[in-house]
Amino acid sequence: MADVQAWTTPSAGPGRPELRAVPGAGAPKLKVDSLSFYYGKFKALDGVTFDIPEKRITAIIGPSGCGKSTLLRVFNRMYDLVPNSRAVGAVELDGENILSTRKLLELRQRVGMVFQRPSPFPMSIRDNISFAPRLLGWKNDRIRAAVEDSLERAALLDEVKDRLDDPATSLSGGQQQRLAIARCIAVSPEVILMDEPCSALDPIATLKIEDLMATLTRDFTIVIVTHNMQQAARVSDFTAFMLMNPDGRFGELIEFAPTADLFNQPQDQRTEAYITGRFG
Amino acid sequence: MPRLTFERELASLREALVRMGTLVESQIEAALDALRRRDGSAAEKVRNEDQYLNELFRQMREQVFMVISTQQPVARDLRYLMGLQWIATELERMGDYAVRIARMTGTLVALPDRPLRAEFGLMGELAIGQVHDILEALIDQNEPRAREVAARDNEIDRLYHRVFEDLVKEMGNGHVDTDGALRSVTLLLVAHNLERISDRVTNVAEDIVFLHSGQVVELG
Repeated sequence: MADVQAWTTPSAGPGRPELRAVPGAGAPKLKVDSLSFYYGKFKALDGVTFDIPEKRITAIIGPSGCGKSTLLRVFNRMYDLVPNSRAVGAVELDGENILSTRKLLELRQRVGMVFQRPSPFPMSIRDNISFAPRLLGWKNDRIRAAVEDSLERAALLDEVKDRLDDPATSLSGGQQQRLAIARCIAVSPEVILMDEPCSALDPIATLKIEDLMATLTRDFTIVIVTHNMQQAARVSDFTAFMLMNPDGRFGELIEFAPTADLFNQPQDQRTEAYITGRFG
Repeated sequence: MPRLTFERELASLREALVRMGTLVESQIEAALDALRRRDGSAAEKVRNEDQYLNELFRQMREQVFMVISTQQPVARDLRYLMGLQWIATELERMGDYAVRIARMTGTLVALPDRPLRAEFGLMGELAIGQVHDILEALIDQNEPRAREVAARDNEIDRLYHRVFEDLVKEMGNGHVDTDGALRSVTLLLVAHNLERISDRVTNVAEDIVFLHSGQVVELG
């Protein structure tokens, strides 16, 4: 236990505490404090400190290898699946440090994830969505309502309401991704993590997902990792820019700001170089 | 350096803007020279030359639009393109003022010759100096210089008001015939156009500040 304590207590590392609060951010949903992350001896993240505002869209951008997907995976402890990985520091979800929680099932219900590839389960559209609620032991009536409600909220119901028992794999790529979102919101999460959710989609399907994201912020806090800077600029309220430290080879947070500020007047030269395409 | 195409486009736009600036400066000089020498054909030449300026402006507008739509610039790059476009608009307007002064020279040439007030020489020199220096501030990307040039606006304003009052007094003295009234009104318009050139210089200075800092400021 002593070891766990050492891993989860915020270090007095460098971090960038001045990035913590940004103007107009409102209440924080996730508070990231001096977060460092290791795969074995390899340090992937160093001293990341910032607050993710509630019911807003926060985009994480940066070049490949800067640790943005690693950071996203910390938010619902997906890294637990990777042997020898560990997080140091704190990530608080409504004040509770998720790095030390033992209630993983509850955490992953509260913090859902949508991946780059839609990956529907090899079952019907309906069963894809009722899968998690069934695991949670919900009653049939509640599950039925959740299927309809989440398809509606994922802007997919109109397209699939007459074929809920068709295999989910019969849907188009864009529909499958909206199904993945419906599957995620079926269990009423509070935070939705999205890892490059549109990179496998065409521009029209992408715009549908982006519109959907905007409506989802009525109920959910969204954190999206994207390679597409125009997408980050279009959809997000706040943007975090990460970069790999050239000496330490670990990812760090360079700038966190309201999206309009970050894309118009970035404060850090490295951010400016990256968003204007003069990186490297 | 990455983004070679984009950098090339920016360089060519910068060059086009400097060309516009140089042309505007010489147009204003030529218009004032024609006014001083009462040279109708020189004034006519200023009016004709304006079409080159207009064409340069048209090309720049197209190019800025093309670069924005194909290169999707952000941050400093986007500011730069917007700033260049705004400055080009100001320069084009200054060119129009030179044309108006040339037109008024055409009117004055047809009237009896009388010496020009000293204020016109002073205002002309100040305006040309401001245009020249603001272009230098633009080329050198010198924001403090741009602010300094804009601040000189006050002197032209002061001279304009003096000319205005004197000419109105003259028209009201009871001894002015139709030609005299036309001459006074025409000179008033010349002074007004010089004052407007100076205002446009202030706008360019504001654009230079925007170009560099992203701050929208009000100078002068």
